[in-house]
Amino acid sequence: MLQLRSVTKRYGALTALSDISLDIERGEFFGLLGPNGAGKSTLMSLVAGLRAADAGTLALDGVALTTADPTGRLALGLVPQHIALYQELSADQNLRIFGRLYGLRGAGLRERVDEALAAVQLIDRRKDQVKTFSGGMQRRLNLAAALLHRPKLLLCDEATVGVDPQSRNAIFEYLERLNRAGLTIIYSTHYMEEATRLCSRIGIIDHGKILALGTLDELLTRLPFEEEIRFAATTEAAPLAARVSALGELTTLDGTHRFRPHPDCKLSAFFALTESLGLPARLFTSQRPTLEALFLHLTGRNIRE
Amino acid sequence: MRILLTLLGKDFANLRRNRAALVLTFIVPMVIIYIVGLVFGLGRNDSGPSGIPFAVVNESDNPAAQKLVAALQAEKSFRILTKFVNPDKTTRPLTEADLRPMIRDRQFSYALVIPPDLLSDSRLGLHLKILSDPRNDIESQIVNGLLQKTIFSNVPQLLGQSLQARAKKYVGTAETDTFNRAIVRDVVATFGGDPDRMLVSMQNGDFGFDQLTQRLATATGSTGQAGPTEGAGTDIFSRIVEIDREQVVGKDVKSPAATRIVGGYAVMFLLFALSNSAAAFFDEKNSGVFQRLLSSPVSRAQLLWSRFLYGVLFGLVQLMALFFAGHLLYGVDVFGHLGNLLIVCASVAAACTGFGMLLAAITRSAAAASSLATMLVIIMSACGGAWFPVSFMPEFMQHIARFTIVYWAIEGFSAVLWAGDSLGQLLPILGILLGTTAVVMTIAVWRLNRSPMFE
Repeated sequence: MLQLRSVTKRYGALTALSDISLDIERGEFFGLLGPNGAGKSTLMSLVAGLRAADAGTLALDGVALTTADPTGRLALGLVPQHIALYQELSADQNLRIFGRLYGLRGAGLRERVDEALAAVQLIDRRKDQVKTFSGGMQRRLNLAAALLHRPKLLLCDEATVGVDPQSRNAIFEYLERLNRAGLTIIYSTHYMEEATRLCSRIGIIDHGKILALGTLDELLTRLPFEEEIRFAATTEAAPLAARVSALGELTTLDGTHRFRPHPDCKLSAFFALTESLGLPARLFTSQRPTLEALFLHLTGRNIRE
Repeated sequence: MRILLTLLGKDFANLRRNRAALVLTFIVPMVIIYIVGLVFGLGRNDSGPSGIPFAVVNESDNPAAQKLVAALQAEKSFRILTKFVNPDKTTRPLTEADLRPMIRDRQFSYALVIPPDLLSDSRLGLHLKILSDPRNDIESQIVNGLLQKTIFSNVPQLLGQSLQARAKKYVGTAETDTFNRAIVRDVVATFGGDPDRMLVSMQNGDFGFDQLTQRLATATGSTGQAGPTEGAGTDIFSRIVEIDREQVVGKDVKSPAATRIVGGYAVMFLLFALSNSAAAFFDEKNSGVFQRLLSSPVSRAQLLWSRFLYGVLFGLVQLMALFFAGHLLYGVDVFGHLGNLLIVCASVAAACTGFGMLLAAITRSAAAASSLATMLVIIMSACGGAWFPVSFMPEFMQHIARFTIVYWAIEGFSAVLWAGDSLGQLLPILGILLGTTAVVMTIAVWRLNRSPMFE
């Protein structure tokens, strides 16, 4: 459906995207996962026609996506990172304006606006100014505005930044419903939990390059270990932290040590060490590795750094 | 105390970082003080207006008329024009027939005709003719005052000549000569002096009235700033100088000052409003609305030109609303010139919108755009004549004024509402306003297309 071929984008001396090639299939929920500044928003803006690529081509169903020709953009819906709405206008007025830009008129427009407001549970607040809405409500309306014209491809650029958990969940559920109904979605985020929950396929991007691409299972098989052991970064565990590096890779995040054994290291060696240090087994949990571990493995740093 | 100093330091550190605030705090007031100071003559040797174009046609062969022309040429407030420039750049003396079309063409607003019958043996006193386009009421009063002062200081000799001519007509040349000699003889006998010089002076009409009138003028405060009907000196002036006044332009306009005041302030506030919309550009960018719009089938060109059209329509509505207010409050004749006023207002709105968009194109944030706009609008309004007539400023400032939208907006409003110009006559002003729009918009669109505004 969406094809990117050798796409490169530079800002002066900085290469924001470097020779990206990517195919998104119809009906996919594709996650673009990477830290801030990785190139996610640049990639989204190229697909949305906001910027022109310095090299390479982008096409949606065979129609070239360029800044100059709006034809390809008719099939796109963009949910920007910010609340891209007119704050002084009502929810209803906002949706009507954006609907008209896509050629919707009269009864058809009214029907779509009603449908969109109902879908994001804002039908009762349709006449209220957007500035009176909570952050979560604004996010939902932000999403609804991108769906009025029933796009084939929805681009969500960090669409849940600053949203409370309840609203985030409502947005996720709505996006999942839309995807089940056949909408293709590209969802950029730096939260691995979001990508893990939502996306059928994930591309990990950093420094303008796609480092890994595949389903969650496919990606995790790239890790040289199958288990990750976590334990609290306490003084009690400090002797272990100091000695465990010979057996594997140890990182610390949010007060928790994460130990990933070397491929040639058996977990029994790790637990033998804990036993020799007199550390009880209850201090340790074993988990399946996450995308974060994969990112760390691929880049040598945490995704939130 | 330490906390207080820390908080104080924080405020000054913020101010130091905010260049726009610094400019508005210090630079803009200094510029305004400088301009207003110049208007009121501070730091100038030539206080008051200067270089007001003033045409003089001298049809009299009387030497005193030449003296009057020379006196007008010496007056710094005037730039005296006596020559008509032909299309082939050759010149000839101006004639009265040239004056009216030239005044209508705004080449000058005031003209003095010294007719062949400056002095006549059929009347006592002088005969002069003044043609004017008093579109600028304050300037007109000053011009009248200066003209009166200049004529007043030259009248005594002409009045003496008038007396001599009348005497020769009614009692004969020989009797008049005898009378003059008798007067000279008695004066010399009583006060002393050179009888031959005194006789020549008398025959030339120089009775020494000038010293008397100068004292009178000083005593009554008639220093050139007073209006033509004020003071005892003026009464004498009006009795001995017969002036035919002809208003060439704006005869039917009820309130000449209202046009300038309403027009000047209307365009100033329009510039402020449209500059705010430049800041709103950044708000739309920062909120991601531009991204949403441009990801839809909307092109950058459509986005920019819709902004431009909005600005023009907004400006048109604002200007017309203010002129209607001027109509209600001061009787500005809006309905008599509605069509042309709409065209000028639309052209002014277009130029002002272009200005606002240029600000958005050359600045990097809403705060920077807003601060730069405030600075430029205030300076343009002061220089361009929104607050006071440009003729009050030194000539170099008058030249600068011509590079402001405010100046040409006021010229346009004045041409419609004061002079009642036709569309054809308005074309030069409309050309300047629309030309400015084209240039400014070209730069703005070029810059915006290359800026990160839409990314």
